[in-house]
Amino acid sequence: MMRKTLQSLIALAAGLALGAAPLQAQHAHGMAKASDLRVALNSLLAEHIYLAGSATGAALAGRQAEFQAAAGALDGNSIALGKAIGSVYGADAETAFLGLWRKHIGMAVDYVTGIATKDKAKQDKAVTDLVGYSRDFAAFLNAANPNLPTEVVTGLVKTHVVTLKAVIDAQASGDLAAAYLKVREAAAHMGMIADPLAAAIAKQFPEKFAMK
Amino acid sequence: MPIPLVLLGLVTLTATPERYPAQARPAADTTVVVKAFGYRPKVLEIAAGTTVTWVNQDDIQHTVTLEAPDSAVALDASLSGKGSTSQFTFTRAGTYAYLCARHQFMRGTVRVHDTGVHR
Repeated sequence: MMRKTLQSLIALAAGLALGAAPLQAQHAHGMAKASDLRVALNSLLAEHIYLAGSATGAALAGRQAEFQAAAGALDGNSIALGKAIGSVYGADAETAFLGLWRKHIGMAVDYVTGIATKDKAKQDKAVTDLVGYSRDFAAFLNAANPNLPTEVVTGLVKTHVVTLKAVIDAQASGDLAAAYLKVREAAAHMGMIADPLAAAIAKQFPEKFAMK
Repeated sequence: MPIPLVLLGLVTLTATPERYPAQARPAADTTVVVKAFGYRPKVLEIAAGTTVTWVNQDDIQHTVTLEAPDSAVALDASLSGKGSTSQFTFTRAGTYAYLCARHQFMRGTVRVHDTGVHR
């Protein structure tokens, strides 16, 4: 329900939702605001961490049914993020974003699998892939929005990878207090991605996003 | 930095010849732009013998790789980064689906129509 609301908010803010009121009317009602976009992206990206943490925690503890449920919800979050991007940049961008985003989730799953099976080589490869992915994802955002420098976004996504890895490592060690602390840290970091992303989109489409 | 154009060879795949559909004449523009992890246009209609140029506008490596590998078709080009280009000449009619080997959700198609003059 929350995800649906967020999606609607982003689509509304972008002024591109099917059947949405004309943009001028949205501005008149103060709906299409950059702040709405920022809040929505922050919420979706923080949700990504909470659901990913739920999925990896369940997987490492061998709670298969819970893992499947969490993974399904996590994919729902990915789809919502894709629709958010699509509402601004179009269907092709939505497809590309979702493909890239799901790819990094698959790499994280590989890392968890490597831990569960005590396969160090698999863990190392997953980490290498995730670090490499950071630049791919940054390149995508830079292509969509030149206000997002590739190198800067690469660094931010690498930190996302590192903070999520810390969650998984704490879960694997059985230190649940540390694991939940790391979850909070990882979720807080997502604001470092959501805020500049929202700001860059608002800057790119000033006609769609009122700045106050 | 742009890399030199890469000529990959000629397509010799045996495929069902396709005549131009009445409403689908070959595009005058045979450039495919690779941008934001997508091929634009996704579907290109050309005449046999046409050379297609892919231009990478993304700040990352992509490839143009035939989806179903065939020993007779050497379409597997690397686009190393922003500004890099690659060319390929399609000599035989057929439908050629390709993808980026690094990002396999990126997909494109070249439909090559028979001109009636085989090389």
